[in-house]
Amino acid sequence: MLNRGVNYKIPRNLLFLFESIALFLMFMYYRNALDRSTIIYGLSLIFIIYISNLILSKIVSGDNYIFLIVTMLASIGIIMIYRINYEQGFKQIIWISLGIVLFFATYFIVKRIKGWEKLFLYYCLASVFLFLATLLLGRRFKGAINWISIGGISFQPTEIIKILAILMIASYYTNYDRFKEKKWGRYYLIGIMYLFVFFLFLQRDLGSVLIFCSLFLALQYIYDENRKLVLANIVVLMFSGLLGYVIFPHVRIRFETWINPWKYIDTIGYQITQSLFAISEGGFFGTGLGLGHPDFIPEVSKDFIFSAICEEMGILTGIGVIMLFMILVYRGFKISINQRNKFFRIVALGISILFGIQSFIIFGGVINMIPLTGITIPFVSYGGSSMLSSFIALGILQVASEELDIEED
Amino acid sequence: MEKEIKRIITVLAGICILFVSLVVYLTYFQIFKADKVKNSSYNKRLWINEEKILRGSIIDRNGKILAYSELNGETYARVYNYGSLYSHIIGYSYRDYGKSNLELYYNNVLLNTSESAALNELKNLVEPNSEGNTLKLTIDHHLQEYSRNQMKGKKGAIVAMNPSTGEIYAMVSLPDFNPSTLREDWGNIVEDENSPLLNRAISGLYQPGSTFKVVTAISALENNMYMEDYECTGTAVVDGYPLKDYDGKGHGTVNLNEALIYSCNPYFAETGIKLGIDRLSETAEKFLLNREIPFDLPVKKSLFPKKGNIGKTDVAAASIGQGKVLVTPLNMALIASGIANKGDIMKPVLVKEVISKDGKVIDSFKAEVISRATDIFTANELKNMMVDVVNKGTGKNARISNIRVAGKTGTAENPSGNDHAWFIGFAPADDPKIAIAVILEEEGSTGGQKAAPIARNIMLEALNTINN
Repeated sequence: MLNRGVNYKIPRNLLFLFESIALFLMFMYYRNALDRSTIIYGLSLIFIIYISNLILSKIVSGDNYIFLIVTMLASIGIIMIYRINYEQGFKQIIWISLGIVLFFATYFIVKRIKGWEKLFLYYCLASVFLFLATLLLGRRFKGAINWISIGGISFQPTEIIKILAILMIASYYTNYDRFKEKKWGRYYLIGIMYLFVFFLFLQRDLGSVLIFCSLFLALQYIYDENRKLVLANIVVLMFSGLLGYVIFPHVRIRFETWINPWKYIDTIGYQITQSLFAISEGGFFGTGLGLGHPDFIPEVSKDFIFSAICEEMGILTGIGVIMLFMILVYRGFKISINQRNKFFRIVALGISILFGIQSFIIFGGVINMIPLTGITIPFVSYGGSSMLSSFIALGILQVASEELDIEED
Repeated sequence: MEKEIKRIITVLAGICILFVSLVVYLTYFQIFKADKVKNSSYNKRLWINEEKILRGSIIDRNGKILAYSELNGETYARVYNYGSLYSHIIGYSYRDYGKSNLELYYNNVLLNTSESAALNELKNLVEPNSEGNTLKLTIDHHLQEYSRNQMKGKKGAIVAMNPSTGEIYAMVSLPDFNPSTLREDWGNIVEDENSPLLNRAISGLYQPGSTFKVVTAISALENNMYMEDYECTGTAVVDGYPLKDYDGKGHGTVNLNEALIYSCNPYFAETGIKLGIDRLSETAEKFLLNREIPFDLPVKKSLFPKKGNIGKTDVAAASIGQGKVLVTPLNMALIASGIANKGDIMKPVLVKEVISKDGKVIDSFKAEVISRATDIFTANELKNMMVDVVNKGTGKNARISNIRVAGKTGTAENPSGNDHAWFIGFAPADDPKIAIAVILEEEGSTGGQKAAPIARNIMLEALNTINN
């Protein structure tokens, strides 16, 4: 018991040390423009993260690492964002704090209320409603229509739909036997997923199309009894991908910039080439915080935050961030395997796959290993919707890590 | 359940492979691609700091300003005072076209920055840097201009240097280009089939022709394998291939000295065969063929056939500077310098001093022997023969009254066009102050007729004007 207590404390303290050093560097960087509120914000962030980890280790019986990993990721993100843009840094601190509050709220709500696995229809309807709302009210941003703005607050419905979709898939496979009895029951889910992908395609949100497809495909592969359907799905998705490439110029151009970004350096390849400059400039150890020029990359604090991390902290830190995601995914899978409640087993898998695939797509995109699609890195990139929905997902994963009742039927 | 866990692990493995591939790719990119990407002229990082720093000037050995920077709005721009005269030495520095020559290889010195951004930042804290260092060259502006004028309208290269210190006084390569109007001319420059961007003096490879006989002669002397009375009929037949003299007439009975004076091909072909490729290439390599020559600008490696299996005809051709022998003009100037400097070849130098913004000399070159090519006696013997070449032989056009000049002419057969005209030499023979190599590319005339007078004029001008 004693050993366990000590082991849990060490990473928390290490994180505290890392944050303090990085924050000190930031204060040095802004030494001429430093005011009291900056220091208060910075210190309160460290405090919030430390206290949250401390509380978590006291009150939950499940996994203590996932939240720790995520706060580490969020710290790296916030330091980078704060260094790039002062004001975005402040806002990000607020988003993270809100996110942590939402994490705890989600944890308690999801744990207290029973019967999540019975709401298949509601998840489905809510998602469709959000999709329709996006199409009707949506604003076009960077070529994609995926933002809606209500009463001055804008957000990305897709971020919420991701979680709804995971819950929906989980409840479908939990109640698979009941669905099977209906005439078209075996095809409900695949039909709905195609509808979702179609909506996303209408929004021109290719990154989300990729996430939804891989998420669905992975869960279908694990749980669907109809193996032919899995195979058929793979064939259909590949074929649609090819068709999309042939028909839609905006898909084609992404492939062409991926193959040779230098050819389009003045136009569509500008961002990716700037990102490659940043990464190569950083080398293995980085230029040092505040000594590089990640600000040359447009939208650097959102989609390209990874390139900024590589430039100023080196690709060794970049690899560290990748590894943190790998451990997060690994913990998620471990949670899933240990969970006896089928619904939460699938939910844990879905959330882990979501974190894994989403981060892979954007890491691979900004280093030009795969075609670039603009999505955010969960917990790291600047942005409210993504941060909040990721913390909600994490809250659900936290519940899934605990011992839960097995459903009666 | 068993099956389910198996599949879950398969998916986990898949995701892990994706992550690991990211790490592998990122590492691969950083090791193999990053340097090239980083140096793309589209990378704004290369320029952001530079344009705020007053780039150091470049001056000649007497302090004449050749290139400097001036404030142009908020940033500095480069000014080249003498147009194309220094295009192959100083080069250019532009945001859109990048950098070349000294502007490239001495960039950090000119900006007074170091490679590491962190180090620069630290330095800025202590001492805000806004001015770079000045480069003082070994070039003599007057001689450089004089040399280029001598070559007007021709293609080729000149290297004139101090044989005992290695300082380059003049280095000309024609055709050249004008760095001041590079932006407007760029299209023409890159398409010009005479490649004006190529610095022929250090990157042009030519067959040295008869100038190479000095190396063969040294090898013969060192190995004691020269012939005292050789009957020259004008043609030597090696393995069935006739090797002719330039005019095809015989020189009668000649010894080594006379063979060099009249540049007798059959004599040196026979001598080369006697020596064999091993001895010959050993001497050639001491004279820096097949070797990297250290210099302030990158020098192409001169080539000599390697030891081992090569035919007799190839050996014969190599010993008279034809066939597979290819040299840079700088290398030939160093060969002349080595003979002038008692057998020691000095490291060639272009940058004499680096001077900080407050006028302190923070770095200066040190004379350094890079090859002990031959001993003092052989060098002396060769020198006397080369003096005879100029006094009585093919090099008469290089004669200067009251000054003993040593030299050797060459006319290199060029498989792809007209002959190249060569001259290498030094003066005064007894206390050499200047060594020179001149090549006129595809001149279609002999070295004695065309290259020797140019070399003579430049040596005389150097002796009259350079005093140190």
